[in-house]
Amino acid sequence: MSRAEDPIVITGVGAVTAAGVGSDALLDALRSDRFCGVSWGGALPIEHVGACRDSVPSHPDFPDDRKADLAFSAAREALDAAGGWEHVAPDRRAVFLGTGLSSVTPAELESDLYPHLTAEGRFDRVAMARDLSTDRGAPRRHMPARVTAGLRLELGAHGPSATSFSACAAAAQAIGEGLRAIRRGEADMALVGGHDSMIHPLGMLSFVVLGALSPSRCRPFDGRRDGFMIGEGAGMLILERASSAHARGARPLAVLAGAGSSVDAWNATAPHPEGLGAGLSMKRALRDAGVAPEAIDYVNCHGTGTPLGDRAECGAVSRMFGRNAPPVSTVKGALGHTIAAAGAVEAVASVLAIRHGFLPGTVGHGSLDPELTVDVVGAARDTVPEYVLSNSFGFGGQNCSLVFAANALQARS
Amino acid sequence: MTRMRAPYSPVPTRRRVHLAAWSLFCSSGIGSDGLTGGGPGKVPGFKARSWVKDRKSLKLMGRSVQLGVAAVKAALDGVPGWEEVPAERRGIFVGASPQLGDPDDLSYALNAASPDGVFHLRAFAERGIDLIHPLWLVRGLSNNVIGFASAFHNLQGVNANYCDGRRGGWNALTEGFQAVAEGRADIVVAGGADAFVGAERLLGVPCGEGAAFLALRPAQPDEPAIELGDPAILQGIDDELGYLGAAAAPVAWVRANCSA
Repeated sequence: MSRAEDPIVITGVGAVTAAGVGSDALLDALRSDRFCGVSWGGALPIEHVGACRDSVPSHPDFPDDRKADLAFSAAREALDAAGGWEHVAPDRRAVFLGTGLSSVTPAELESDLYPHLTAEGRFDRVAMARDLSTDRGAPRRHMPARVTAGLRLELGAHGPSATSFSACAAAAQAIGEGLRAIRRGEADMALVGGHDSMIHPLGMLSFVVLGALSPSRCRPFDGRRDGFMIGEGAGMLILERASSAHARGARPLAVLAGAGSSVDAWNATAPHPEGLGAGLSMKRALRDAGVAPEAIDYVNCHGTGTPLGDRAECGAVSRMFGRNAPPVSTVKGALGHTIAAAGAVEAVASVLAIRHGFLPGTVGHGSLDPELTVDVVGAARDTVPEYVLSNSFGFGGQNCSLVFAANALQARS
Repeated sequence: MTRMRAPYSPVPTRRRVHLAAWSLFCSSGIGSDGLTGGGPGKVPGFKARSWVKDRKSLKLMGRSVQLGVAAVKAALDGVPGWEEVPAERRGIFVGASPQLGDPDDLSYALNAASPDGVFHLRAFAERGIDLIHPLWLVRGLSNNVIGFASAFHNLQGVNANYCDGRRGGWNALTEGFQAVAEGRADIVVAGGADAFVGAERLLGVPCGEGAAFLALRPAQPDEPAIELGDPAILQGIDDELGYLGAAAAPVAWVRANCSA
């Protein structure tokens, strides 16, 4: 069967975000334009963080590892929603995840680093390494692929797998990898997504010193925007062929129609000012999906709320779609920026938008920056998007866009 | 709604893939000098300034990124006329580990956080932050090889960066190969870079550093095509050169396949 006749569909989603544990919590927050940030009582010059307030089950094999807990929770939800994958041979189950820098916990900062600071203001690295090597959890917590490996082990997935690390584009890249693995026939089902939490002292201060965090509120596409709210989360999706889902009676939630990636090739620390790479990744995703720009009903923007990032992305959207550009929004105003998980959380949001017939609003957006020429969805709109484009752009200039579609659903429901 | 025909067939037309050039940086040397011998340790004679002229960029690169950026350049330098390939059709696939950064970058901030000899998180946030380099986080990103190499060589095409330990470099090779075979790029540099010298005590094994990249493009009818083969090629490379992380598979592949 051709790609159009037997598309890759999503049969389960899972999410843990500032909205809470579960994709239902995310749906509720997005439909009601709820700001999910919590007040930050620490000394850093920020007012809110997008932390998940719900209790997230702790995984016994990953002590003190927030990112792992987020990932396992979302993965279990996605797989349960899809009806499991026990019917698929282990070597036909794939896992592709995106992740970010390791979590340096306050305990590590205080116990592993500080005691080894010498009177000369340098670190005694030998003592530091010796100390770390006695804590079995510490080195493991810094291995980016630990969660991918843990999920493969727990879920009996012996098929293709990879851990993408491309900053804020990581999860979207991982979803694209899963799509290609199934297209090539290398796997029958794939768990794809991403997980990240930079809500820890070193994580947050890293973005503070970069000047990326808003000291007050994230205001995407607004003339007053001054950065994002740091968030945390995980998003997971189950991919399989429509024919396979149909055969076992699983109901597809949406179609993953295409993926495209690009590199800005501009600067390792700043986006291309005109969104060159952003435009390329959107163009490639559309071409991969086999849809024309005018078919897109909604763009789920990367939309971090930084002055440079929003300008570059909106410029690329305007050039790509011209006068008939579809409405755009970003969920980062509501949830915060989940960094490496962003592409997956926003993929789940896109699927929910298709499934439940609405466009998420842009929480925090007040008035459009006069330099931007896009139609911003301020408050959530009830409408059924048939094609959704979701963007993720990362430090280092790596970009990835995904196209989600509803069209195969009508044919099969 | 307007639909356009999908440009690819469901399983893209496979093209034969040609190994246009390769690069190798390991403890036995750089390029063909490194094909045999060597042991755990540093790449001898590697001077990052010889490969990266931009001092400002160099300051933002950790050792593994310097090795990776140099190896990408060396691979591309071996392909005559690669600049004629449109920038959008130049891909890059990399296996690399994140670099947690130099802990000394935090030392002033930690000192400021302990006025009474005891570490205070609040003091760290209030007084320490301003003492940390603004790009401290960025320096540690695993995808810095792609960030810098793409900017230097205008590589705007398909890409991926993998953080799967020793498997990362193999993933980069296979996905880079697939990108050419499926027609998603006309030239791809694929490989890995890592640097673990100094981490022996933590990892408990002899460590090395290195980088190797393949420059891949569609084979012309009169050119030989390659297949990547089996990841079993990795076996023994740690014993030979020490733990190389994501560089292990690309280094092993080049040493096994390019010595003729």
